[in-house]
Amino acid sequence: MLHWTPSELRLLGIPDRQLDQIAIDHHLAGLSTSEAGLLDFALKLAMNAPWLSREDIAGLRDKGFSDESILEAILVTGLAKLLCTLSTGLDPSPDFEPREIPHSSSPPAPDARSHGGDTSGPYLRAVELRPDSFPAFGYFMKRFGSIPNFFRAQTLRPDVIEAEAGLFRNVLQPDDILSHVQKECILLVVSAANLNTYCVAAHCEMLRVMGVSTEESDQIAVDHHQPDLSEQNKALLDFALRLAVQPSEFRSEDIDTLRRLHFTEEQILETVAVTALNNFINTVQMGLGTTPDVKPRHEFRPKEAHLFVAADRPTWSLQIDPDVELVSRVPDGDSDAFEELVTRHSRRVYRTLLGIVGNVEEAQDAMQDTFLKAFQHIGDFQRRSKFSTWLVSIATNRGLQCLRERRRLESLDDDGPDADEEFRPRQVRAWADDPEQLYSATERRRLVERGLMRLPAKYRVVLVLRDLEQFSTDEAAEALGLGILALKARLFRARLMLREKLSPHFASSANKMGL
Amino acid sequence: MITCDEFMAEFGDYLEGDVTGEVRQQLEGHLAHCRTCQVVYDSTRKTIKIVTDSGSFDLPEAAVKLSASKIMARIRNDLAS
Repeated sequence: MLHWTPSELRLLGIPDRQLDQIAIDHHLAGLSTSEAGLLDFALKLAMNAPWLSREDIAGLRDKGFSDESILEAILVTGLAKLLCTLSTGLDPSPDFEPREIPHSSSPPAPDARSHGGDTSGPYLRAVELRPDSFPAFGYFMKRFGSIPNFFRAQTLRPDVIEAEAGLFRNVLQPDDILSHVQKECILLVVSAANLNTYCVAAHCEMLRVMGVSTEESDQIAVDHHQPDLSEQNKALLDFALRLAVQPSEFRSEDIDTLRRLHFTEEQILETVAVTALNNFINTVQMGLGTTPDVKPRHEFRPKEAHLFVAADRPTWSLQIDPDVELVSRVPDGDSDAFEELVTRHSRRVYRTLLGIVGNVEEAQDAMQDTFLKAFQHIGDFQRRSKFSTWLVSIATNRGLQCLRERRRLESLDDDGPDADEEFRPRQVRAWADDPEQLYSATERRRLVERGLMRLPAKYRVVLVLRDLEQFSTDEAAEALGLGILALKARLFRARLMLREKLSPHFASSANKMGL
Repeated sequence: MITCDEFMAEFGDYLEGDVTGEVRQQLEGHLAHCRTCQVVYDSTRKTIKIVTDSGSFDLPEAAVKLSASKIMARIRNDLAS
């Protein structure tokens, strides 16, 4: 903000001279060590949150602050970020006579090399609140299917969680001004710029539920000018980014740009509100140190941070579909391009098919059918997933068809009666320290193939995709047309089943001899 | 201290590195004391590694080329007709 209005502090009886001194350098403002330490913490959280660690929280505890007070400091700092973003975006006329901000009010930049703190959270004590007796948790269960760690870490203040649930209901949930996807994209892009691993993972997951592929979300987070977004939406994200991370560069012309692109005043107001709320959530999350609810695809490290003003976007390695260029040439009749795709993926397709049908000749025939079908339908490939995932889903369906034709009606999409069956490991003999040394590579391969072939097809195919093909959970779920949770449950069961089959062969020799 | 059943309920996510710090601590606390779950955990991890490194169901290089040429012959034949 260009000006500050310390009316409340003045009302609390703090003289003007001390107010100026707090703003210039609070260490020289006659505050106690603990008061100055609290302001150090708030400044670090507000301006250099990626450098925050468990040690900063321990430092406050050493100065006598309780976890309740530290939580409140985190929340108030988050609110300060929210209010700064709102006032930058809305530029209201001051309610009190503005005061020039004194010089040198920025905190010193941390040395990237100095960071080595423990960032495993959550940092603060929490108490248990249950969704059936705490309405806010009931709301989150309904909306997200579980209670995000972000809220679990604030249970010392149920009243605040209730207020946050209200913000979710009133700002993020409605779909009638900006769409849900537009709001989630704003949250994703700004969280990525704030280097917030937790929030990026959460918003990628929300977008995935809304039908946006993880690859597309990744690309939006890195550079929203690349994906297939409308000019309107690109401008919307530019606006939110500048407001959130480059407030000193924000001008009324930014609002005019949105108006020219036919955004209504209500939509612009909602964009400002969503962006401000995002800065609150990012700040509070960094203060709490909560671990992600879903496995993040990208970990942001402090060394990637840009101090104070993130003028440049962070970059990280992306899984971009390496087949896109070849795929784009096929509909124009470029059969050489398709031949290259066949060469690249025939192993993968064959392994998947052999994993399902268990017969070499049948797998080879089905592989030909799979590629033929992919060629004929390549125009239907939507690029919402990687080409390889799309191809494997065709192969999976073809493999299943083979099983049905053989009247082996093994279903891959029905959880069946064994879904609730309790699975207890029976083989509990310890394995050799280095079990791979017990057999030659050929023998190991034969043991694994035989073990896999003794599993029901629906378990076998999940293991083939995840542990042989190294598909991600998302990709395997997509290829098999399963939900993430169903896929994870099936994968776990399949691994345990295969462990049972392999145990007699890999148990330590002492056990084998009955010693 | 959690029970073996509680350990098994979270074990799948633990293998995937998909549990919170608090749950991880509980699971590791259990593993430190329960020999049976320790064996199941250790052997399941080894199972995954053996499968991943096994090269199972792999297609030899010569067969890749042969299959690719058969597939492309069918496709070019279809295009020509």
